[in-house]
Amino acid sequence: MATSRQVLSLYKQLLEKAYKFDNYNFREYAKRKIHDSFKEHKGLSGQEQINSLYNSGIDSLAQLQRQTSISQMYTFEKLVVEPLDKHHH
Amino acid sequence: MFRTSLLRNLRAPLISSSVTRKPLVQNVVALSQPLFVRNYSGFPPLTRELAKERILELLEGYDKVDASKEITEESSYVQDLGLDSLDVVEVVMELEHEFNIQIPDNEADSLKTVGQTIDYVLSQEDSV
Repeated sequence: MATSRQVLSLYKQLLEKAYKFDNYNFREYAKRKIHDSFKEHKGLSGQEQINSLYNSGIDSLAQLQRQTSISQMYTFEKLVVEPLDKHHH
Repeated sequence: MFRTSLLRNLRAPLISSSVTRKPLVQNVVALSQPLFVRNYSGFPPLTRELAKERILELLEGYDKVDASKEITEESSYVQDLGLDSLDVVEVVMELEHEFNIQIPDNEADSLKTVGQTIDYVLSQEDSV
């Protein structure tokens, strides 16, 4: 049973992980993907569907955890489109 | 940063003072004089006006906020600014970054208006 609060908490956790990507392209992709996926299923009401999506979200969180850790092992040059004083890390 | 400059200042005379020990002593005295103190952390304290200004700026920069409406302290995120619960989570995350604080989920739930948010930020001792 995934409540709306749990879903919102998952959304926040996913976004927080996505911010941890050092590479601009990975980071922006992850943010956009999380954002769009949640928006797409915003009006969902079937409990079963919500649960299955929630569980796949949990799996994605574990995947993001691994991928951001790997991303942080490498250094990436900042792109010109990135503001230098960005405080998300 | 202060520590490294301090160490450097202490170290420099040591190298040159192999002949005479006097410069080292002089330098230590110089360090203790108020002339040497620099206030690196001299930013203004977080007042209510300052917090309000920063929060409003943050909200105005957020593209999903209805730009035609003026944001006041009474503005509710969901009713007045046209945000949904997912957007509110994003606003809370931006606030966390802006003021360098952690907002737990149950407390984030209770933040419904801009005014409540300002009060919450000010009530956190480690807000900057």
